[in-house]
Amino acid sequence: MTDYSILVVEDERTLRRLLEYRLRKHYNVRSVANGIEALNSVANSIPDLIISDIMMPKMDGYALQSELQKNLNTRTIPFIFLTAKADDNSRLKGMRTGVDDYITKPFDLEQLLSRIDRLLERTRLFQTQLEGKIGEDFSKRLMPKRMPHVEGYEVSYINEPREHGGGDLFDWTEPVPGQYFFTVGDVMGKGIQAKFYAFTFQSYVRGTLHTMLAPNISPAEVLHNVNTVLLDDEVMEDTFASLLLIRWDVRNHSITYANAGHCRPFLVSPNKCQLIEKSDLILGLDPHATFQDHTVEIEPGSGVLAYTDGLIEQHSKDGSMIGEDGLQEILADLDSSSDLPARLMQATLERSRSNVLDDDLLAFWLKRF
Amino acid sequence: MSFKIESFDAETVVVTIGKTLDFRNADEFKNACQEQVDSGRQNFILDFSDTGILDSTGLGSIFSLYRKVSPSNGQVVFASISRPVQVVVQLTRTYKVFRQFPSVSAAAEALSTAAQA
Repeated sequence: MTDYSILVVEDERTLRRLLEYRLRKHYNVRSVANGIEALNSVANSIPDLIISDIMMPKMDGYALQSELQKNLNTRTIPFIFLTAKADDNSRLKGMRTGVDDYITKPFDLEQLLSRIDRLLERTRLFQTQLEGKIGEDFSKRLMPKRMPHVEGYEVSYINEPREHGGGDLFDWTEPVPGQYFFTVGDVMGKGIQAKFYAFTFQSYVRGTLHTMLAPNISPAEVLHNVNTVLLDDEVMEDTFASLLLIRWDVRNHSITYANAGHCRPFLVSPNKCQLIEKSDLILGLDPHATFQDHTVEIEPGSGVLAYTDGLIEQHSKDGSMIGEDGLQEILADLDSSSDLPARLMQATLERSRSNVLDDDLLAFWLKRF
Repeated sequence: MSFKIESFDAETVVVTIGKTLDFRNADEFKNACQEQVDSGRQNFILDFSDTGILDSTGLGSIFSLYRKVSPSNGQVVFASISRPVQVVVQLTRTYKVFRQFPSVSAAAEALSTAAQA
């Protein structure tokens, strides 16, 4: 855990070197000789924690602390005073300026280290909680609130986001009556960043679909357009996403899909379960990538299952990943008469080595009665 | 730290991926490769012999590398792919972009022949 950076502010050279030497084993350490130098150093890059002497030439510790308090970006840096002034007055003054801890010289190094650890741990915890809250909000916005209701069909989905999961997204729209577009995707990466990009990415797809409003939109053409945007836009630089676009034609009982490197869906019928194989390259990688449409008929009693990699990357009891083969086995044994996504998740967990999901899970189910 | 990078020639390096390339060390991989790109390397042979885990963040960092070198006709190729890596490459259809070779030496030979041609 040498990732934390600590700024040491101390005018006495020997002590400064000693601190630098001892702390360097645990953290990235920078050191300066007074408050002015400290402010310059902080302006360059904000440390995770500051240890500062009080009595120093040019700018003392108190003045440094109150300068840092003035700026929103620097006022939350954990701050420890390290000083020879042991009397109560200076201790009170030190606490008044809003420092987090106060250690008098001569000090015990082990004690200093444990206080640093405690402060950094508290800050980290606070940040994790905050990210968790924002992540949860994003996760909700990446999923639809309601599903289409169509006579003779069951349309449902299940989504289990994990706090540190990735950027799964799912969306649908009805650009012309009787034709629905479903978007199932996964933006690469983990945590809050992936969710943020997934959110932006979902808006791209929506926007692209809106500009193409017409009957029989080609999913492959949408993928082509989204790929171009992804490669041209600097904001989305280094963003890669797998995307499965499905156009469902209610009257013909068929789906037309194009798949950009996304997990391949299954066609589940009462007596067999087959992989819908054809797919193309993931988005954001190659400006010359081409995409193709494929049409699949949905017979009575059959359904299409689309999902994200959380399902097939779940670890089974023997430690291996469930994979497409494992999923096919699970589906073949499953009663698909109703609410397949929930049954599927249950069956997957029964096979798993733990009773929780390793990653985000999303499964979408479109069944003709 | 966990990535061994060896020069093959002025333009080509061999990166040994090790046991894992995932969200924990993807940034490290990116930085290590960036240093090589900055010093003029544009062909990367990635050795996956020991790799048990390649997750989507890890794969993303390889994609970033590809995006950096491809405008100048640089290449990223995969050598001695393990079974888990094969699964990921298959799923994302990225075998269309990254050429695969049975060994590092086969990859190096192909790259140097291409350079002479």
